[in-house]
Amino acid sequence: MLNEKLVAEINRLRSKYKDARSCLLPSLYVVQREEGWITPDAMTAVGELLNVPKATVKGVATFYSMYRHKPMGRHLIQLCTNVACMLMGAESLVDLLKEKYGLTPNGTSPDGRFSLVIMECIGACGTAPAMLVDTDFHDSLNDKNILEILESYQ
Amino acid sequence: MITVTINGKKLLLEKPVTILDAAKRAGIHIPTLCHHEILEAFGGCRLCLVEIEKVPRLQTSCTMNVTDGMVVWTETEKVVEARKAMLEFLLINHALDCPYCDKAGECDLQDLSMKYGPAAGRFAEGKRKHPESYDDPIIVRNMERCISCTRCVRMCERVQGDSAISMVNRTSKTFVEPFSGGRYNCEYCGNCLTVCPVGAIMSRLHKHTYRPWYIEKEVNTVCSYCGVGCSLTAQVRGDSIVRVVPEMEKGLNKGLLCNRGRFGYDYVTSPQRLKTPLIRKEGELQQATWSEAFAFIAQKLKEIKEKEGGSAIAGIASARCTNEDNYVFQKFLRVVLGSNNIDSVAGFAFAPAQRFFENIFGQGVTANPLHGISRSDGIFITGADPTTVNPILGLQVRGASRKRVPVVTLGHMPGLVRFATQRLVPQPLTDTAVLAALVTELIKRRPLSGEKPAFEEIIGKIPPVSLKDAEERSGIPAGEIGGCAEILSGMTNPALIIGRDSVQSSRGQENLLLLAALTYLLNGRIYLLSELPNEQGLVDMGCLPDMLPGGRPLAVESFRKRYGEFFSTEIPAAPGLSLMESIEGAKAGKIKALYIMGENVAYNVPDTAFVKEALSSLEFIVVQDIFLNETARLAHVVLPTLAWSEKEGSYTNLERRLQHVRKAVEGARSSGSMEDWRIIAEISRMLGTEMKYSDAGDILAEIAKVSPLHKGITYGDMDAGEFLWPYKGEPLRHDVSIAGIEIPEAGSLLKKPEKEALYVGIERPLFHSATQSRSSSALNSILPEPYVRLSRALAQRMSIADGDSVAVSTSAGTVELPALLDPDMPEGMVLVANNFADRGVFRVMSWRMHAATKSPVLDGMEATLRKIDRKTAEVSG
Ligand code: SF4
Ligand code: SF4
Ligand code: SF4
Ligand code: FES
Ligand code: FES
Repeated sequence: MLNEKLVAEINRLRSKYKDARSCLLPSLYVVQREEGWITPDAMTAVGELLNVPKATVKGVATFYSMYRHKPMGRHLIQLCTNVACMLMGAESLVDLLKEKYGLTPNGTSPDGRFSLVIMECIGACGTAPAMLVDTDFHDSLNDKNILEILESYQ
Repeated sequence: MITVTINGKKLLLEKPVTILDAAKRAGIHIPTLCHHEILEAFGGCRLCLVEIEKVPRLQTSCTMNVTDGMVVWTETEKVVEARKAMLEFLLINHALDCPYCDKAGECDLQDLSMKYGPAAGRFAEGKRKHPESYDDPIIVRNMERCISCTRCVRMCERVQGDSAISMVNRTSKTFVEPFSGGRYNCEYCGNCLTVCPVGAIMSRLHKHTYRPWYIEKEVNTVCSYCGVGCSLTAQVRGDSIVRVVPEMEKGLNKGLLCNRGRFGYDYVTSPQRLKTPLIRKEGELQQATWSEAFAFIAQKLKEIKEKEGGSAIAGIASARCTNEDNYVFQKFLRVVLGSNNIDSVAGFAFAPAQRFFENIFGQGVTANPLHGISRSDGIFITGADPTTVNPILGLQVRGASRKRVPVVTLGHMPGLVRFATQRLVPQPLTDTAVLAALVTELIKRRPLSGEKPAFEEIIGKIPPVSLKDAEERSGIPAGEIGGCAEILSGMTNPALIIGRDSVQSSRGQENLLLLAALTYLLNGRIYLLSELPNEQGLVDMGCLPDMLPGGRPLAVESFRKRYGEFFSTEIPAAPGLSLMESIEGAKAGKIKALYIMGENVAYNVPDTAFVKEALSSLEFIVVQDIFLNETARLAHVVLPTLAWSEKEGSYTNLERRLQHVRKAVEGARSSGSMEDWRIIAEISRMLGTEMKYSDAGDILAEIAKVSPLHKGITYGDMDAGEFLWPYKGEPLRHDVSIAGIEIPEAGSLLKKPEKEALYVGIERPLFHSATQSRSSSALNSILPEPYVRLSRALAQRMSIADGDSVAVSTSAGTVELPALLDPDMPEGMVLVANNFADRGVFRVMSWRMHAATKSPVLDGMEATLRKIDRKTAEVSG
């Protein structure tokens, strides 16, 4: 079940779109923002709220890779390891995260603080390697500054 | 005119069509995988690529329209290479386990791979693995075989309208899945199975039991479940039906079926089928021979007729039996036994509603082809949810809604929640007030045509009901009702779909008048929902207390005489008793013998306790049936008959289309069971009236003579294609006979329950149909247990969760059922179905007869609800 605040927010979003289906992506997004991931119950609830069949909601939610389908840590690290980032040492950053926080790709640190998702090019090749933490963007990463940056996410 | 040349063949076309269609017309086959004639073009599989001169790249012929002067080649080297490549891509992940797959032999991918392809790809990576899913009782999902053509998803979403499945995930992890990931929990129409080109989704019912090439014969027949009368093909092997599939080209259902039609046929092979005649001896039903049974019945009926007269005998005909059975049945009652006491459940709502409308608009007013619904410019529905009562008709409504045809529903209709433009869900017993307000508003908005002045006069006398009054009664805001009136007034030739609840209401006559007014004001076409396959046939065969075959009123002397003369006898002029009156008559000792053909009155009529008591006081009951049901258990003689798949005959559907029911298997015939008509003919012979029929055709030939409406009809006519009203016959011509219409008083339109009460109403589940479906293990596997549907708000107030046990009690009795919560229901209502042994809704409905229609009133049954706390029960018990 969605809480009242979410219901109100989705209803507000709904009024911006002519068609209920168009409102699906942003609605799922606000649910994810609040709950960290998209639970099956949330898909049912969003479907009911928007009058969109829940299987359709599931099809949409599982198609887009930016929706999460299992519980996430408090902060989501999306680290790029595509060609430019890889050349500039992204893979050693992956190792570092493992060593430091016990984080593996698609996993969550044991303390529930971070989750890690490996990305394919986030458009920052010129200042590689790069990552997103939640919605904040960080580039020119190295072994040192990445830990400093992450320290500010508790 | 468009000229196209395909593979050197010149083609002239009036309208632009796709290259694929044009090729088909030229007799040229282009392979396809994602295209299906029932579905819109998709253009996903690229198997249908063709080469077009002056166009640099290959094009998908399923999406591209022909243009004038186009020159197309469908099998050039380039095309064949491309197809090969597309197939190779599909085979990257496809399991290619044809030797093990049920689809082999009728699989498009197999055929195409044989024709074009290397049977294996050059990709060295392993194929994706995904275990076959047996989580569902009906559908087995094997996603290793899925080629992501999306045909099933499009079928489910765009045609069936259930949207129960979707393509989940992306890239090579794309699978078709229901929401749960396991069980489908859908409408189980199986239409997705029809369109899957490969063996990725298959029916579990015949999994690994046969190969398509084992099918020995295919019999085109008609579904035995509801009044839509879908065409279907029974595929037979070794005298059993192995599968039922729809017919793509023929019939009104054009390739679609519902769950009952597709999966429910297995009741005919139920081990519960009656095998021998039974006679009650020393209080017990005991096996007997046919000749014993015949002799006993003949002797008893003769005795009773001589002693008490024919009017002491009543007969109940069957909406599941053929026209031929029912014709012979009414002849038996009228001619042989001299009784007009003939009725059936069609007399409850279908027949009286039809009669009401025909009295105003003329015979045949409800004989409207189904496809008219999706082609209309507006739809108004009340009285039942068509998507469960008559599912294929329901699809017409959903289809129309998808084309943005306005759909207004009055009453709770779960299957149309997402499809209705405007839903009016009134509080219990106040639908009449809403209807009256709609009529009042429409009179203001739409001028009267002047076509039927007498009826216009009546419309003028209907007391006006204001939107405010309707709001106060129904709880629906006046603005919403007004909005609906506005939508309705914009329709020029809408479809009005009417279900049983409007008719079998304590305000049934008022409702019918208001609906007739609506029909007239809107220039609408009426569709009467019909729960059983041959309700219309019962009416047309004269299985009504006051109606002769061909819909000729018994009261008209010339009809009565003509009918009697056929059989050199005189037919009693007084109308007979209705089904309900006969049961009351039994209780009162007026009726001594009841002859029941294929109807479970002790279950299907409200107040089962009362009905059973009444039946028990009869001197003699004969039951012909395929099962030893509640009624048969009370009989003195029980005779086993043939099921729908075992006999020839015809049904008349709710459009009044006559359709040929064909014998697919011998079945119970081999153990001695007989057609209903054959049994009756035999008894009739023993009572001294010869009925010389050697097969159903002989009966049809007699019907063709006796019934002016069915003049000259043959099975050939039905087989030749659409055989629609008025066939080749003479409809009854009579003037508008509105003399009997009573103008309601404002008070009766505005009736409202005095206190806030809870009412129990009738649930009509999609997966069951009266008591026949009880014996289908397939349908039972979908819905094994009854439930009580109640509003979520009410449930929350009473702390009832989904699945909790709830007791529904009324003055007539109590049933205990698990709860099903429904967010869209009005709070004052709970719904219980009438399908399952001992827990049917008619156990808790009391015996109330409508004064005008002499049929059971279904609304206004007060109930109380109690949550059953298992824990306390355990402690105290
Ligand atoms: S059986 Fe019918 S309702 Fe169920 S998934 Fe298939 S098409 Fe949809
Ligand atoms: S299950 Fe069948 S119809 Fe559905 S996408 Fe896969 S191959 Fe196509
Ligand atoms: S809609 Fe009626 S006739 Fe058609 S398949 Fe379903 S039950 Fe049978
Ligand atoms: S490769 Fe990492 S941002 Fe483009
Ligand atoms: S049939 Fe044309 S693209 Fe699939």
